[in-house]
Amino acid sequence: MARLSKGIKKRKIHEDGAWAYAFIAVALVVYAMFTAYPVVSAFLISFEEYKPLGSTFVGFENYANTFGDALFWKAIRNTIVYTALTVPVALVISFAVAILILPFKKWLQTAFKAVYYLPAVASGVALSVVWLWIFDPLPSGILNRMIGLFGIENQNWLGSSATSMFSLVLMSWLSSHGTSIIIYLAALLGIDNSYYEAAELDGASFLQKLWHIVIPFLKPTTLFLLVTGVIGSFQVFQNAYLMTGGGPDNATTMVGLLIFNNAFKYFEFGEAAAQSLILALIIAVISYFQFKFLGNDVEY
Amino acid sequence: MARKFRVLASVLALSVSLSALAACSSKGGDASSSPSGTASPSAGASEAKDTITALLPPVSANYQNNFEQMAKDFNALYPNLTLKIEPASWEDMTQKLDTQVNAGSPPDIAFIGSDGISKYVQQGMLMDITDVATPDMINDFDKAPLEYMKKGDGLYGFPAYMEIHALGGNKQFLEEAGIDWKNVQKNGWTYEEFREAIKKGVVKEGDKTKRYGFVFANAGVTSKDYLNILIKNAGMPSAFTQDLKYAYTSKNYLEVLKAVRQLIDDGSMPKELSSVDAGKRWNMFLTGQTMITGKGLATFENSANKNNEKLKANDGSAVEGSIPVEYIVLPVPSFLGQPPVSSPAVDGYVTFRGKKEPTPEHKANVVKAAYFLASGKVAATTNNELFVAHITKSGREAAKSMTVNRNPDNVAAVEVLLSHAAPARPDIPVELGAKAIKLEDEVIIPKFQALLANEITPEDMYEAVKNAAIKEFGQDGVVQD
Repeated sequence: MARLSKGIKKRKIHEDGAWAYAFIAVALVVYAMFTAYPVVSAFLISFEEYKPLGSTFVGFENYANTFGDALFWKAIRNTIVYTALTVPVALVISFAVAILILPFKKWLQTAFKAVYYLPAVASGVALSVVWLWIFDPLPSGILNRMIGLFGIENQNWLGSSATSMFSLVLMSWLSSHGTSIIIYLAALLGIDNSYYEAAELDGASFLQKLWHIVIPFLKPTTLFLLVTGVIGSFQVFQNAYLMTGGGPDNATTMVGLLIFNNAFKYFEFGEAAAQSLILALIIAVISYFQFKFLGNDVEY
Repeated sequence: MARKFRVLASVLALSVSLSALAACSSKGGDASSSPSGTASPSAGASEAKDTITALLPPVSANYQNNFEQMAKDFNALYPNLTLKIEPASWEDMTQKLDTQVNAGSPPDIAFIGSDGISKYVQQGMLMDITDVATPDMINDFDKAPLEYMKKGDGLYGFPAYMEIHALGGNKQFLEEAGIDWKNVQKNGWTYEEFREAIKKGVVKEGDKTKRYGFVFANAGVTSKDYLNILIKNAGMPSAFTQDLKYAYTSKNYLEVLKAVRQLIDDGSMPKELSSVDAGKRWNMFLTGQTMITGKGLATFENSANKNNEKLKANDGSAVEGSIPVEYIVLPVPSFLGQPPVSSPAVDGYVTFRGKKEPTPEHKANVVKAAYFLASGKVAATTNNELFVAHITKSGREAAKSMTVNRNPDNVAAVEVLLSHAAPARPDIPVELGAKAIKLEDEVIIPKFQALLANEITPEDMYEAVKNAAIKEFGQDGVVQD
């Protein structure tokens, strides 16, 4: 009996494709080393005062410091504001551009996709330099010249609390929609033409087709882009780091920047790890509610 | 074909696993391969071969071009030693170094500002060379800059130069505004005199300001330079008093903040000052949009001279819209009758250690390399290129044969500034220093940017700094005057 079961097991593994495990192992090992290991490591470090020559266990001190830090809560608030202002608008822009590209021939679609994707390929630092030039605070600055045409006084775009957050949001609105456009376009191309034909036979207008066919069919895509957009936006770092450094008066200090500063400026890796895990928890809770309230009637 | 593919996939999986494991096994690495050369058995004799690694940024325009020659010269001096230099850009320098330090495998030597020493001492990753640096080496350096390389009782490298953060003026505009700049260079000026002088430098065309009296780079963290050079001249040469009380809660601090606002409200400085970065204000200086700029470094005279030559030769690479400028070194004004104190920036070759204790032989070799870089011909060449004063006897000697096209008035002005440079404070404990830096980054700079943008009053900022300081250091840990 034992011999028989051993034989079956052996065959089973072979039949199920033992080689497949080898293929999966590649991804699994990469995931384990570059995602799971750092996460577990960060979890452990969050209870330590990290030093290269030997860390000391400090219990929940890093978490207590984080919860008692007014700057952390300000950074959370800034990040929520930034996310609320950027993600929905980014979805609308991407969706609108995808709809505009859709009727074109394939080669023209590809050309537009490439053009819109270009900012994602360009260096973020190079783009920031261009934006710094656009946001030049003196009257000679590009944006100031533009608003000057409407009789508006020149603005200290990145140097004033009133405009610095808006400046970062504007930067987000006007760049890097390439990935979302490509995903939306792929989803749009996946909608069967028969739905449009049926709607046309019923005399549906463009807006009716959009509302009753396109938007419902794109709901899984929209949910995916919303969830990934919110996650990405909560982790925003580069723009604040390069454009404002978090200022003025911490008006643009995002959680990502705060974590970076704690880790790499002050070498407080324990506190930075604790803040990272709290941020991960916040993102997980938000994602859960997004799926719960927006993903109910989504069919994949 | 399928079999080959399977084998290939297996090999790939195995190699990824092994390389990942290897990447994580640095703790058990071979001591002889450590950058610090730790516990290398062959380093037992002083003539044993050894390699010293150095992470060096482009300190001056031609500095990195000379690396090969520097390594050759070092090897000629010490045939058993190899100086392995890793170049880094200024932008990458901190990140590269911090990554290596936190991984426990830094280079033996890195070129950084002396203000970064406390951060690495706190990490336990710097190598104290007090017992290895010979009296000849120590005596070669001027005392003031060498003190900046100390923390507590430890010496953590050798200084390359001591540069004064001053102001820079356009000679023609200064004279047009009736400013006796030669007198200012010799005797300094008070805040009130400075305020009147820069008012005279403003040129308007209708409602628009064509030229400002004074523009200082203040975008982001650069604003801390502005505030720091001012408060040093208001009786606060350091963040801590001699009895280690936090100084920026003094009433004088509030007066400086009021002055900062006053200069903008006068129209002598742009109201967009909080967004003017270093490149922008230098452009404004060269294009005649400001009479005085800051911070002024000695090398700016060199940059201005080079641009003047390009303009003369109709070279298209001259700064667009620039005019010929004769750069004049000017001191920072003093406040409230306090003596002038100039702000020195001491950068140098800092010595690091790895996770394992370095052998005495390797330590001695690292010191030889650091001294080689910080003195003699290397220092003379670099400092001349930067237009900064020499701080070693050997550097001065080597520089005798080199010619530098500097304005003698500026040379004399820098000498005056160096004579009252803020002294180093190795007595400030690293933990206290770290708290002050965090307070500066999280409260002072953000509030100062808000003050520059006219979003808060000087009193608001003063109260915010005072409250944060009391929270951090306690009522008894701060100055109450």
